[in-house]
Amino acid sequence: MSKADSKHELVENFTAKAVAANSVVHEAPSIAAALQYVVDVCESKSPAEILADEPDAEQGPPGPNDMPTRVKRIVAAPDLPDNDFAELEKLCEVKGFACIRHGLRKHLAGIDVGVSTAVFGVAPSGTCVVNTDREEVRLAGMISESSVIFLRKSKIYPDLSSIAQLLRERMNEAPATYTTFISGPSRTADIERVAAVGVHGPLEQHVILLEG
Amino acid sequence: MHESPTSLSDYRKQIDEVLRDDFLRKTLDTFAVAYRANRETIFKEVDEQALIKQIADSRDAACKRMEELYTQFKAEAEKRGVIVHRAATAEEANDIVVRIARQNNVKRVVKSKSMTAEEIQLNDRLLADNMIVDETDLGEWIIQLRHEGPSHMVMPAIHLSRYQVADDFSKATGVKQDSDVQRLVKVARVQLRRKFINADMGISGCNFAIAENGAVTTVTNEGNARMCTTLPKVHVVIAGLDKLTPTLDEALTALLVLPRNATAQRLTTYVAWMCGAGECSVNKNDKKILHVIFLDNGRTEIAKDPLFSQIFRCVRCGACANVCPVYRLVGGHKMGYIYIGAIGLVLTYFYHGKDKAKVLCQNCVGCESCKTVCAGGIDLPRLIREIRARVNAEQGGDTVPALLGAVMANRKLFHTLLKFAKYAQKPFTGGDVQFQRHLPAIFLGKHGFKALPAIAAKSFRDRWKEIAPVVSSPKYRVALFSGCAQDFIYPEQLEACVRILASKNVAVELPMEQSCCGLPLDMMGQRKTCTDVAKQNVQAFANGRYDAIITLCASCGSFLKHTYPHLLEKEKSVQYALRDFVDKVTDFSSFVHDKLGLSTEDFTNSGEKVTYHAACHICRGLGVKEAPRDLIASAAAYAPCAEEEVCCGFGGTYSVKFPEVSAQLLGNKLDNLAATGASRVVVDCPGCVMQLRGGAEKKKLPFRVTHIAELLAENLKC
Repeated sequence: MSKADSKHELVENFTAKAVAANSVVHEAPSIAAALQYVVDVCESKSPAEILADEPDAEQGPPGPNDMPTRVKRIVAAPDLPDNDFAELEKLCEVKGFACIRHGLRKHLAGIDVGVSTAVFGVAPSGTCVVNTDREEVRLAGMISESSVIFLRKSKIYPDLSSIAQLLRERMNEAPATYTTFISGPSRTADIERVAAVGVHGPLEQHVILLEG
Repeated sequence: MHESPTSLSDYRKQIDEVLRDDFLRKTLDTFAVAYRANRETIFKEVDEQALIKQIADSRDAACKRMEELYTQFKAEAEKRGVIVHRAATAEEANDIVVRIARQNNVKRVVKSKSMTAEEIQLNDRLLADNMIVDETDLGEWIIQLRHEGPSHMVMPAIHLSRYQVADDFSKATGVKQDSDVQRLVKVARVQLRRKFINADMGISGCNFAIAENGAVTTVTNEGNARMCTTLPKVHVVIAGLDKLTPTLDEALTALLVLPRNATAQRLTTYVAWMCGAGECSVNKNDKKILHVIFLDNGRTEIAKDPLFSQIFRCVRCGACANVCPVYRLVGGHKMGYIYIGAIGLVLTYFYHGKDKAKVLCQNCVGCESCKTVCAGGIDLPRLIREIRARVNAEQGGDTVPALLGAVMANRKLFHTLLKFAKYAQKPFTGGDVQFQRHLPAIFLGKHGFKALPAIAAKSFRDRWKEIAPVVSSPKYRVALFSGCAQDFIYPEQLEACVRILASKNVAVELPMEQSCCGLPLDMMGQRKTCTDVAKQNVQAFANGRYDAIITLCASCGSFLKHTYPHLLEKEKSVQYALRDFVDKVTDFSSFVHDKLGLSTEDFTNSGEKVTYHAACHICRGLGVKEAPRDLIASAAAYAPCAEEEVCCGFGGTYSVKFPEVSAQLLGNKLDNLAATGASRVVVDCPGCVMQLRGGAEKKKLPFRVTHIAELLAENLKC
């Protein structure tokens, strides 16, 4: 099998397994297209519910859980490089969304979209590995109703054991790190074994596959 | 909140009650069937047996290095700003948590599910110290609202209906809640988010504590562990010393099995690895206050035990409960104290003491379903029997098993008593000698669910002289291990076997010094007598130079093959004979199928619709699956049965101890058998024949139950 074929196969396998775990997988030809996708996700969703007190937030009509909703939607992307963040900020501004990279703790009541970047993907379980020492980045994936993870196709690995060494190095790079394997949106089956998503974390998990 | 039965009669009353809980029964039935299928599918993508072996080996190795790994973990974690504690007891662990809480002025605590925190009953202690404690795993939160303990390690609220949850949530929120599951989940989302935000301390469990870099790992589908470990200023991890894992590699391997076994997922949604005290903007120095408390509570002692140290292979997946036919009937509250399922019966003894475990550990039917799915390949049925033996040794046990043990140690006395029983039963057998017809109801009590068999007029060993075939220039020479049930109750099964073997030119012998295999004794915890009997049996076959030792009883076969080596490991004088014995023991179906190669040409196919019950000890104990099914199809029309490999509820002495559970398991089995429309059921085990035939007779079901040897003998071409 050629290298290109095996890479293609990994991407296909990753996609199939991520979809099976209720992720939405989208291939983006460029970073610009990926950023546009983030804005589209935010635009097409219903506004985030404000699940706890947030005095400064302007409140809209109640959402599906009878909680007030955000009038100004929030997109958080704490780990995007400066130029990409600036690009996203512009796209958000056009739509009237707030685009933030700091101060996520002010919005623990819930934001619309959180963007983060995976360091690896693991094909057989459709898993994204997010590794960071930054609290803001972790929060983006936790408190958002829609989590969007960027993953480069070249970073998809064939199994868990093949990322062991890479993971080890990552964990040793900083004095402290927090690594999360993410395979789909927050889910539960604790009531009568009925599957339900969005119990604590994101209601939706998007994975954007980038070339290279 | 947590209860454990104090006497068998008390326990049976509780079980009787729970057997009438229709919701629980239906839920667990559906779950058991769905789980089995989903698990099978999800394991097709990996090499299950190789992974289980890998996990077992790596856990065993880690257990041997527990102290060294602890030291390494502590050094690595401290380098990264983590404070590491070690607690000898539950009490000490609770003290440490409270101390940390006070030091940091903690008022509100959020927890993500931790069985170890349950083990030390941490919540009670925190509440006593006036803290507000909220569980954040949905299932845990539900049972916390109800003041109950978990009924499953992975799905703690599996025993509850959506309506009960809606009532609890209505009470908790002061607003009437809809019973729609999706809505209820969102109620938890709203309620718990505020609790995460307001908490000062998060408490989590730990799936793996990685010694090479001091990282701790949590595995959750809901993502509550991420919130608990990120939002509050303090994070306290409670981990058993057994969670110490040398490197990331072992943890990554275990992750290939844990989610598959727990919930039939490829990987749990969120696996979080916290390596060091990371950023936390609510603390002045911007660092998380991160404590890891390792709990001993007997673990370092268990680690030294050559047999029981294997319990540290447990990854808390809950699979042993998922496949347990008893769990499926009685649920987790009646099958464990804090830890649940087969592993729960074992852990209760070690972590919560023999008083909590002595009655619970009786409730295992010995079907071995748990052993075959365990992520670490723990020999759970054996450990449970071993605990019974220890409990008996420590407190003297019941009088009846001890008396029976004394009788069985003496083969002649035991066999004489069995023969005497045939006279004693005479007034009760009526015209039909197959069953005891007229046992006064007072003797039957809860055992009335099946007709009991009668002792045969003449035992097989007494008939042997008349029927022993003469085979000139035999192809093989074999010996029969007759087993009590066939020798004294169903000699016709052994005779059928002898007819087949003789017609295929196999010489058969019956060593007369053999006795009971010992399994019933072991099930009752009579370890000493059991070992004596085992030794006697090995010696009875020692000088025969047989090609095989054939048994028609799967339970005897499995016990002889798998338990004798452990029972007799210290008996130096029989080691050679033992190895030879164990190697030669073969079940009837495997011998005639694999060795003699019986197939369609050897039978006149009767065309009779015949279904199969796979005895626990044939399909799991001995791993024999194809031979009997092939043989049935060669001699008749094989009609497969739903849940063919699920226990019939006999379990030897189990059906005497827990007749209510046994009756229910039998009922389910008979329903499945009847649904096949077959006119005959065959099995590889006389115990199952006894159970199924007795049940079918009682219910007047239109099929007969025989040993597979009888079917084959009837249709053999002469």
